[in-house]
Amino acid sequence: MSMHEEEQLGKAYDARLIRRLLSYTKPYKGLLALSLVLVVLITIAELSGPYLIKVAIDDHINGLSLPMVDMQEEALPDGVPVVKLGDRVLVREKELADELDPALLVSKPSYVIREQGEQYALMKQLDGGAEWSLVQRLTDEQAERFRDQDVSGLYRLSGLYLFLVSSAFLLNYGQTYVLNLIAQRIIRKMRGDMFAHLQRLSFSFFDRNPVGRLVTRVTNDTQTLNEMYSNVMINLLKDFCMLVGIMVFMLLLHVKLALIAFLTLPLIIGATFIYRKYAREALRVVRSKLSRINAVLNENITGMRVVQMFHREDQQFDKVHAINRSHFNANNRELHLSSLYRPVMDFIYAIGLALIIWYGGGQMVSGALEFGVLYAFIDYVNRFFKPIQDMAEKFTVLQQSMVSSERIFQMLDEQDELPEPDKPRHMKTVKGEIRFDHVSFAYNPNEPVLHDIDLTIAPGETVAFVGATGAGKSSIISLLCRFYDVQEGRILIDGVDVRELTKKELRGHIGLVQQDVFLFSDDIKTNIRLGNEQIDDERVREICRFVNADTFIEKLPRQYEEPIMERGVNLSAGQRQLLAVARTLAFDPSILILDEATANIDTETELLIQDAFAKISEGRTTLIVAHRLSTIQHADKIVVLHKGRIREIGNHQALLQQDGLYRKLYELQYREAYQA
Amino acid sequence: MRDLWTLRGFVWRFRWKYVVGILSIVITDLSQLAIPWTLGRLTDDLNNGFGTSSLIWTYIGWIFLASVGIFIFRYLWRVMIFGVARTLEYELRNKLFTHYQKLSPHWYSKQKTGDLMAHATNDLQAIRFTFGGGMVIMIDTLVLFSLTILIMVVTIDWKLTLIGMLPLPVMAFIAISFGSKIYDRFRDAQEAFSGLTDRVQENISGMRVVKAFAQEEEQERRFAEMNAFNFMRNMRMAKLQAFFNPLVQWVTGVSYLLVLSFGGILVIRNQISIGDFVAFNAYLGLLIGPIMGIGWMINIFQRGAASMSRINEILNTPPDIQDSPSVLPVSKLNGSIRIESLTFRYPGSKEAALQDITMDIQQGQTVALIGKTGSGKSTLVQLLVRMYDVKEGSVHIDGNAIQDIPLAVLRRDIGMVPQENFLFSETIRDNIAFGLDRTSERDVVQAAEDAQVRDNIEDFPQQYDTMLGERGVTLSGGQKQRLSIARALIKHPPILVLDDSLSAVDTKTEEALLERLKQKRQGLTTIMIAHRVSTVQHADQIIVMDEGRIIEQGTHEQLLQHNGVYRNLYEKQQLEEQISGEI
Repeated sequence: MSMHEEEQLGKAYDARLIRRLLSYTKPYKGLLALSLVLVVLITIAELSGPYLIKVAIDDHINGLSLPMVDMQEEALPDGVPVVKLGDRVLVREKELADELDPALLVSKPSYVIREQGEQYALMKQLDGGAEWSLVQRLTDEQAERFRDQDVSGLYRLSGLYLFLVSSAFLLNYGQTYVLNLIAQRIIRKMRGDMFAHLQRLSFSFFDRNPVGRLVTRVTNDTQTLNEMYSNVMINLLKDFCMLVGIMVFMLLLHVKLALIAFLTLPLIIGATFIYRKYAREALRVVRSKLSRINAVLNENITGMRVVQMFHREDQQFDKVHAINRSHFNANNRELHLSSLYRPVMDFIYAIGLALIIWYGGGQMVSGALEFGVLYAFIDYVNRFFKPIQDMAEKFTVLQQSMVSSERIFQMLDEQDELPEPDKPRHMKTVKGEIRFDHVSFAYNPNEPVLHDIDLTIAPGETVAFVGATGAGKSSIISLLCRFYDVQEGRILIDGVDVRELTKKELRGHIGLVQQDVFLFSDDIKTNIRLGNEQIDDERVREICRFVNADTFIEKLPRQYEEPIMERGVNLSAGQRQLLAVARTLAFDPSILILDEATANIDTETELLIQDAFAKISEGRTTLIVAHRLSTIQHADKIVVLHKGRIREIGNHQALLQQDGLYRKLYELQYREAYQA
Repeated sequence: MRDLWTLRGFVWRFRWKYVVGILSIVITDLSQLAIPWTLGRLTDDLNNGFGTSSLIWTYIGWIFLASVGIFIFRYLWRVMIFGVARTLEYELRNKLFTHYQKLSPHWYSKQKTGDLMAHATNDLQAIRFTFGGGMVIMIDTLVLFSLTILIMVVTIDWKLTLIGMLPLPVMAFIAISFGSKIYDRFRDAQEAFSGLTDRVQENISGMRVVKAFAQEEEQERRFAEMNAFNFMRNMRMAKLQAFFNPLVQWVTGVSYLLVLSFGGILVIRNQISIGDFVAFNAYLGLLIGPIMGIGWMINIFQRGAASMSRINEILNTPPDIQDSPSVLPVSKLNGSIRIESLTFRYPGSKEAALQDITMDIQQGQTVALIGKTGSGKSTLVQLLVRMYDVKEGSVHIDGNAIQDIPLAVLRRDIGMVPQENFLFSETIRDNIAFGLDRTSERDVVQAAEDAQVRDNIEDFPQQYDTMLGERGVTLSGGQKQRLSIARALIKHPPILVLDDSLSAVDTKTEEALLERLKQKRQGLTTIMIAHRVSTVQHADQIIVMDEGRIIEQGTHEQLLQHNGVYRNLYEKQQLEEQISGEI
């Protein structure tokens, strides 16, 4: 990433970007809704845990001190735990509260169990309500009987707890899986989109952008987003639900205590806001220093030879060192900042805890609050701070992904400079008449490469283009294939402007054989049929025989299935060229272009290739660009280009007699041949 | 892990920071443990009806004290331990780069720039994570675990501790076995990712063929396959991860469950107080973080070790070209060169790039090397500055074998204008003054003028302060060559080597430049590699090379009379000039 791009990072945090990123989730509305439901269920399941413990504490662990009533004359609902002590049938008021008429309960005297010294004693409430009288001391065995209902209650709750934990496990698994599925699909879609978009862009785009940069866009930048979607987004959603859920549970449990706990919220928000402000700047500096390190290292590694030749190792080291040092310093500043965030959050947590203890403890002292509620609050506040504590890390990933997504969208917004026609014309058969109608062209404005080229090529004719390097030979070919568009004039095939055809159709009629043969890392037959499944193996063999490629292919260990190594390094230049010829023939084009196709090829193979060329140009309009004039003497027409203009046209003999540029070129090459 | 051991010296050097860091972790953990303890005591007091508002305030005071401790010491250990990790990254980068500088072109020819970059950035980052986050989790887990368990056993109940910790071995087992499985699948996913990268790379490099054969859709289809494969691999990893975290949560949940039922019964049976029960739950809560981190820690140590092994491999590569022990106290070169029966093969190659070269260059002579591409001209001049070392035959400068001349003197006093005109992305001034420690503005301007590039420079709005490269202006090939010449000329080197440095310069400028060189290089040795006869014709000695051998040697006139390769070349180039002269 260049410095310039880095500097834009500050602006990158942008609602527009986020909206566009979110738009990729649209096709997964259903799944997203499902995961939302799951998240809500998870939140409920996880937050029910502390509530269960609250119940365990208040109803069972502290159960012995709960008030009871004597129900000996009343009918009891089923399943209510009772303890019979003499005549009395003692039932905890809590167990009956929902079942019976409250008035009935109030009319009955309350009993409680109190600790008296080493023993427990059953006490009865006197009429006034404030006074208690001893009913009887309890033996250990009797006390145990009161406790039994607590133990079985505890087991019941434990069973429920196990159910909750287990369902949270399943729900969590399902939810993480679903969200990952969405994230991975989005990334796949995005990569597919980018790749497809790249296929539509014109050569001038590829001229401007180095391969490495484009590869980085399609792979690494999307990978950053992958990280963002599958790690941060998933957690963020869960965290958010959890925070809301905790607040809801707290409010349900005890409104006033909840509101007091919420007093820490402004602190959290404020601290996070301040942190974000400084951290963004600090992170930006770190990233820009890192990209400086990358740039300087890259330069020093590629230029190492020069550095060594000039013996400037020490001085270059000083430069690298200075940048490394400034990166280190920036890193340290960021470290101090992020090191503060977590402890600050811990501190705010302590404040929250203190608030709850202060208010809740006070309430308990005055008997207005059960202990279990206080416990649950302490637990909830603890859970509340968990996701907040590692917000700093998530923030970093989020920021990086914004930069990446900006670059991705920039590429996706790149326009095709060679638009397809609105109403494309179709040509069933092409005779192969080509007309350059006063064509002028420049790659860069003010640096014209072709001037007013006017030329007609009859169907079936073989035409050669010659001239010095930079004369414009290859540009003519590029224009015919519509790799670029002409600035002036037009190019017609059988009277149809190339811009009126779809690029696919146009290029389907043209077969191009280039000097630099590009082979895909696939096997030989796949490289010949190039995805055209109609060409079967038999046809591939036939074609290879026809263009003299069969001999060398059949000598390969796996013949037509022989895999081609990266860029075809396991084949000679001539063999690669033969494959290119075969590939071209397989597509049976009406127009054939041979662009410097026999340069750098050993003499033996060259004869095979020449022969192959002669065979396949039979009956096709053929355009040849050649450096070596020996290969084009048989052409029907030779066009001599000089500095972007047509200087001479004619056949070999006629041009030689003219004693012009062609003749000089010819003599020059004759000498070269002589020298060799 | 053995690879990380190489850093023990570094760790030892920062032992005090580690000691402070570790102590801070211990204090942080103790402070953290104080909170559950306080909660437990508070619970008991409230439950037993001792709670008064002053007591509550005391507990609040305790909590604040603990949290101030956490605040200070957590900050301290982060800064200490993470700080050391960052220092490590910084120092290793310096060390690595210094080592890069010592390695020869032969070594570089076997490396990819991208890999070397990755070592100096990504690998160092992985090592930093190991020594930062990885180290902290290791220490924290150890300290927190032992302290917590100790406190639970001592202050609460050993049976409850035992039961609460029951799921721990299960957890450790899950963390370790899943950790390595996740790592495997992660590697698979990485592999699929690099497959994807290759496919995109191939597609863009072969865009001409793709477009010429209208293969866009086919390419998309094939990319989609790879993309789907990558998707599948990533999902495989995600599935495991989606399973792992909830599983760990489930196991901790079971821990809570055991404490709830068993601990609850202990309270009911009056064996522990309810405060103990509350404290126990809170202690358990403290342990979850470190437990979840174990798998991550293993992973990060693995990656750090892998990165360190790559770095070690480079650091252990001995620099092959350096001053020999028998180096002579030469402080300056005069410029007479004698090469005797020199034969040279590039390392790892069987074919000789140079064969039986013998030549004598007097101080002050201008010598031209001419010949086809691959005839060995550049190889020869590179041997002069010891980019490679000579094994058969010898090269002497001023009578001293070049291996005995200090590299610093050799490379300072030979001014090279290499074939690849590599310029730095700095100002034009810095690029010209590259070889010198201190220069005056006058020298820079003079060098630019001598190299015939002054006018071009002064046409830029910022003149000598113009930035080059990605962030600045892009120069034409000819401008680059002339800047590269200025960079060598400013040193006034006793020996100047121009390696095909005028190929992109137009004829008129070339003439002016050669004229200027003639004046400036009076009495100084100049070696020139060229393709064009016009460039070399005034040299004192012209050497024609072919396939690593000297085939003709003499002055322009002598060689023309000889009627050999040189003469043929001369005539051919005259014809070429005629052709390109026509408009």
